[in-house]
Amino acid sequence: MVQSAVRVFDSSAPWKLSGQVSLRDEAFGALAYHHGTRRLVFLKSRELVALVRNLEEFESADEAIDAVVVPAQHQRYVEALSSLFSSEILSGR
Amino acid sequence: EELLVEEV
Repeated sequence: MVQSAVRVFDSSAPWKLSGQVSLRDEAFGALAYHHGTRRLVFLKSRELVALVRNLEEFESADEAIDAVVVPAQHQRYVEALSSLFSSEILSGR
Repeated sequence: EELLVEEV
């Protein structure tokens, strides 16, 4: 029996910006650099940058998203955070 | 709607 370790982003859980990541504000949004994996990630909206910076203040990613975007954009931002989780830009807490 | 996240 093969067990696969699938990493799944749970938007109802609390998250934070990884301690190994530096954020630099840019005109388009921000650059995120992971010092461990050496990945460079472009965050391409100001709302996403605000969301990532304030993630730690909320009990869930869903709550943090609702604080910065309208409900119609909620799923789009869940997917963006899921992508950041896959890139190890976010970590659980 | 363009991608919000891109990685290199």
